[in-house]
Amino acid sequence: MSSIILADIINNAKTIPLPTKKSEEYRYFDIESYLNKEYMLVDKQKKPITEAAYIEIVDGVVEKAPKGLNISYVTEREVTDEHFDPLYYVGHLLCSQAIQIELEDDTNVKILHRYTQQKSLIPYRVVVKTAPNITVTLSESFIGCDAQESLVLYGYDIHLQRDARLSFIKDETLVEGIYTPIHSHFIHLQQQSSADLFSFDFGNADGLQLIQAKLLQNSHFNAHHLLYTKGASKRGTISKIIHAQKDAKSSQKAKNILGDKGRGIFDALIKIEPEGGGTKAYQNSQAILLNDGAYMVSKPQLEIYIDDVEASHGSTIGELDPQQLFYLRSRGIRLEEARKMLILAFTNEIIDAIEDEKVREAVHLSFEHIYYGQGQLECIATCHHCSDEIIGG
Amino acid sequence: MSNMVEIKNLHANIGEKNILKGLDLALESGKVHVIMGPNGAGKSTLSKAIVGHYDIEVKEGEILYKGENIIDEEPEVRALKGIFLSFQNPVEIPGVSNAYFLRTAVNAKRKFEGKEELNAAEFLREAKALALELGMKPELITRSLNEGFSGGEKKRNETLQMLMLEPDFIILDEIDSGLDIDALRAVSEGINKIKDGKRTFLIITHYSRILDYVKPDYVHVLKDGQIVKTAGPELVAELEEKGYATLEES
Repeated sequence: MSSIILADIINNAKTIPLPTKKSEEYRYFDIESYLNKEYMLVDKQKKPITEAAYIEIVDGVVEKAPKGLNISYVTEREVTDEHFDPLYYVGHLLCSQAIQIELEDDTNVKILHRYTQQKSLIPYRVVVKTAPNITVTLSESFIGCDAQESLVLYGYDIHLQRDARLSFIKDETLVEGIYTPIHSHFIHLQQQSSADLFSFDFGNADGLQLIQAKLLQNSHFNAHHLLYTKGASKRGTISKIIHAQKDAKSSQKAKNILGDKGRGIFDALIKIEPEGGGTKAYQNSQAILLNDGAYMVSKPQLEIYIDDVEASHGSTIGELDPQQLFYLRSRGIRLEEARKMLILAFTNEIIDAIEDEKVREAVHLSFEHIYYGQGQLECIATCHHCSDEIIGG
Repeated sequence: MSNMVEIKNLHANIGEKNILKGLDLALESGKVHVIMGPNGAGKSTLSKAIVGHYDIEVKEGEILYKGENIIDEEPEVRALKGIFLSFQNPVEIPGVSNAYFLRTAVNAKRKFEGKEELNAAEFLREAKALALELGMKPELITRSLNEGFSGGEKKRNETLQMLMLEPDFIILDEIDSGLDIDALRAVSEGINKIKDGKRTFLIITHYSRILDYVKPDYVHVLKDGQIVKTAGPELVAELEEKGYATLEES
């Protein structure tokens, strides 16, 4: 990886064909239907940044930010030359400049992404750089009620310096008919750094996140994914975690709840390079199918080039446990209520692992809103925690 | 003298296997009934059939509860009408807090009975006081339901649920199995606490030791899917001495 400019990105992109339905990383998503649509490319006019308790990015342009936070637009940025996702490069190509957030001290940053343009292509990239040995929490949420039929190509390039600790929480509820997000991230973990990634993907519309993480010596990467999708949506995570140096640890846990004809995707590879001795890697996906039409694609994979590792992976797909359901019902709890209790229990393991109490409560709220609001999902589901009171902490 | 429960000619299967073969049983209101019998006789199948467990397919017969046949009722409706089964092996449910579960159950019943629901403070006050009486650790109230509980803790938790839900007909399926003497005493005290001469108990057990604490009125012997003998508490000693092999149909 090096600091490169647009021409280099173009050269790199030339070697990787655009994804089609035959592309391994997109084969379960139907990417062609999005790539073949006609979009307006949003006009990203930079605006003066006004002060707020949180960062607000509107159609790829920063409009608000906390005072003192170091935010700029950069042309040259570090782009990995080994990302598995072609749209990672397309996203960079479409952005002559990226938003760069430099974090020097322990901080808690909330980011609100707002999309306002219909039938538009909204590409943007965010670079996050941390100083060594700091602790950072980044939590992001989304509002896109007005962005009907838009395609959002965005993602982070996160560079964690030595001994830095990051907690990153994405909370995104999608409603059919609004924007479709394809998030393509790259996370680079320097020696002894650690990252906890939480993704909460809820709703009844298509969306995909593609994550590549590269772990150097003694770094830790923990990914937690909670997916609840219904309708006829296709939603999920495609990831590649690379143990590039020795003694790194990674853990990836995905919980998926699929209703109606929803399709969940968990296609995740942990790769342990020959230099990755002493690696510990764990990967697990669990899915609950709420009805017959629901479908889960679960592909946890390990690719190991050295003996000295501890690695395991697993996957289960099933229905709610009938014994647990019966136990609750035998105490007078109605079937629907019992089902909801078990679904909430299934989700709690992931949500309750968030340390920040306010963020945790907001995510609980997101899930309960979409889950208890079954059949009456409105766009407000994506907007319920957009007030300064919550987003601003 | 009336019967709270009357089971008539009950035939029930688990899968293809016929377990209950024309079972008849009458349970007098306000009394403590004990069912004993050899392994595989159908004791647990009977308890599951009464509460509507999904494993059990009732092929023929009636289960009358307060004069009403409940065979086609959903399990939760049977519970709301006052039937309670203390499970032999209570299931663990990670992620569902014991307090949330129990409050939901208590309020479902109160709502069914037209009573005002308990708020969180009222519920916790009552639950903690009862838990204390049962010798339960207070933290078990807020932990996930039965998750990581010892065998004794699970049985105490079943007893706590029974006390909170105040059912009319209580089935205790081997509530004494796996309990040490202190836990057995605590659970028995819980049972005796709600014995009020109106509630009916059906205790399923292999051993007589719980009957040292909870005195039965009737003892029924279940063998090969049928009740083969009904007598007073003196039958327990006879069974302890002679076993089931020599029993003749009464």
